[in-house]
Amino acid sequence: MHKRRMLICATMAVFAFSGKVSAEEVFKIGSSVGLTGYAAVVDRAWRDGLAVAAEALNEKGGLLGKKIQVITEDNHSQPQDAVVGYRKMISSDEVMLFNSGCVSAGNFAAASFVMQAKLPMYLCSILPQRENEQVWAFSFLAPPKFEIESRYRYLKEKTGIRKIGLLYDPTPYALMMKGLGEELAKDFGLEIVAQETYKADDADMTVQIGRINAAGGGAVVKIGQGGSTVTAAKNIKQLGLDKMLLLSSNDDGSIFSQAGEVLGDRFLFVAPPVQLPKQLQPGPSKDAVDAFLKYWKPKYPDRDPANSARAWDSMMVLAKAVEIASSTEGKAIRDATEKVPAYTGAYATFNFSDKQHVGITENPFLIGKFANGELVIAE
Amino acid sequence: MTSHATISIEPAGIRWQAMLPVVAVVVVAGFGLLSSDYVVTVLGFAFIYTIFCTGLNFFMGYTGQASFGQSAFAAIGGYGSAILCADYGWEPLLALFATMALSGVAAVIVGFPTLRLRGHYLAMATFALGLIVYEVTIEWTGLTQGYMGYSGIPPLGIAGYELVTVKQQLVALVVLALFGVAVAARLRQSRFGRALASIAGSESAALALGVDIARYKLVAFVIAALYASAAGSLFAHFIGFISPEVFGVTMVVQSFAMLYLGGIGTMWGPTIGAIIVSVLPEALRGLKEMQDIGYTAILIFILIFAPRGLAGLSALFGRVRGRVKEAA
Repeated sequence: MHKRRMLICATMAVFAFSGKVSAEEVFKIGSSVGLTGYAAVVDRAWRDGLAVAAEALNEKGGLLGKKIQVITEDNHSQPQDAVVGYRKMISSDEVMLFNSGCVSAGNFAAASFVMQAKLPMYLCSILPQRENEQVWAFSFLAPPKFEIESRYRYLKEKTGIRKIGLLYDPTPYALMMKGLGEELAKDFGLEIVAQETYKADDADMTVQIGRINAAGGGAVVKIGQGGSTVTAAKNIKQLGLDKMLLLSSNDDGSIFSQAGEVLGDRFLFVAPPVQLPKQLQPGPSKDAVDAFLKYWKPKYPDRDPANSARAWDSMMVLAKAVEIASSTEGKAIRDATEKVPAYTGAYATFNFSDKQHVGITENPFLIGKFANGELVIAE
Repeated sequence: MTSHATISIEPAGIRWQAMLPVVAVVVVAGFGLLSSDYVVTVLGFAFIYTIFCTGLNFFMGYTGQASFGQSAFAAIGGYGSAILCADYGWEPLLALFATMALSGVAAVIVGFPTLRLRGHYLAMATFALGLIVYEVTIEWTGLTQGYMGYSGIPPLGIAGYELVTVKQQLVALVVLALFGVAVAARLRQSRFGRALASIAGSESAALALGVDIARYKLVAFVIAALYASAAGSLFAHFIGFISPEVFGVTMVVQSFAMLYLGGIGTMWGPTIGAIIVSVLPEALRGLKEMQDIGYTAILIFILIFAPRGLAGLSALFGRVRGRVKEAA
């Protein structure tokens, strides 16, 4: 009986001890993502991109010998749930850094107490609005200016269309893009003849598109993501507007394919290199795309890689920051992220500095179209 | 809309029994104060919703009317406090009272024509009210900043003293929630409360007894709006950030779940419902993607076996005890 007790005690001690060691060897990353709700498509891709990157980095020994563990909490695309999830990951899981999805309001709501906890926030979304919160946040989202410029340049250089209509949803990113769209139009010799708004769940946009057509618009520059792009394509066809172009924001490849099947080569879209990998020229960008797709394709052969590639890139930037910091402590990683030299990733090149917490500073976007059942670069 | 059948009759009980729910709330809050900020945050939301649902209970439970639009008044409270405090430097408590007054006026203006409707028509009209205010919070970006949301809202405080930690704020929320329940209980037991109960039972009978139905309904609607506005303000101060999503349909659905689960028409039902609906998803977090399924299954189970809500169980147990005594 006595021996049995001794054995139990010894076993418990071994488990307790081994538990402590493994806790010390893990680098916990918290991720607040909208796995349900309006952000589900992008944020599920973000979550999977993080998981694939963690797997790749762990194969190489993790971060300073610590295995990466990504803890995801579904915020249901709601700020209130995001706050609870963030609190849980700080208090209970004791994460060392956040790498969260695209629910801007959720990230904004948590930014103040994440900052107080001195934890860096890598974000799929735009930065929080307050300057003191931005100190701890790093955005991996392309500035809205780039998506607009790419489409305007295409219209100017490849078409004779000079009158356009903006069709936008009221999300923060779309509103920023719409504002820039108004500012930049003149620089490309374009005139905005109509501005129409829609909601992400609108089932019909014939009224808005009809107004753009009536005002003389030859192309619809659509600002916003999701199935509404397919709806807009169908509505253009239903209205019999045989010459009108639809230029979409960056989105999931499945959306592009569906809209492309409706409008053919009159549907154009903004795409990062990873979405059009077959036509990439050899170079650092193609190498980065190949490195990502090597891990991504075997797991998700039929899924679009764009948003996951951005998550992958964020993890590669983190790996470089930890290397520079020689530490996994929050403040050290924050400081080191500002010192990471320009990193060419699968989605874009990231250029963080102490004054630049939006990493994408060079326009990574190409204009694509749907042809012969696949997404290709529009000539 | 809500028939008299949904109005639970609670046993009066002796004084120490009446204090049991208060003790339970204090124990729950005490547990929160000894726990992490995560638990405190969950309980903080629970007590904010307690205030919201106590007001809703006034209109739906005590008066027997339907309102799907209380989120509109929460939005007025939330955005009012945010704008007054963040942009104009008002004291949070002063902003809370000012926005409550504004919500009260808005409730009178909206309620006067709307409350002529009955049943499903009233439900539709109030739902429309919620949707209109939700759209305003999205589209009127000059005032609300749209989906960008309002940040930098100071925590609750008075006379320059701010409740900086979430634990301090939890204490304030518990005190305010208990105060809200006490006021509701007092009003319920008054002549006014009995008039509301008569309207809930039968409007024709109430009219025959000389109850000014339109006036009483309007007052109940305004009281519910005041509670909702206070909850919206407290939400803004508790989180320090608000955006339109907070005051969307989710808020309506969640508050209904709390009200019916806890026990509509009962004094402590909203509190019980708010705590359970807030805490249950967290207890099931380990289920990961099955969390929502597990959560809704438990809610359905409770509603099947306690159709009058969990607070209604006390009446059931009271009757059983009575029968046992009679048999003895």
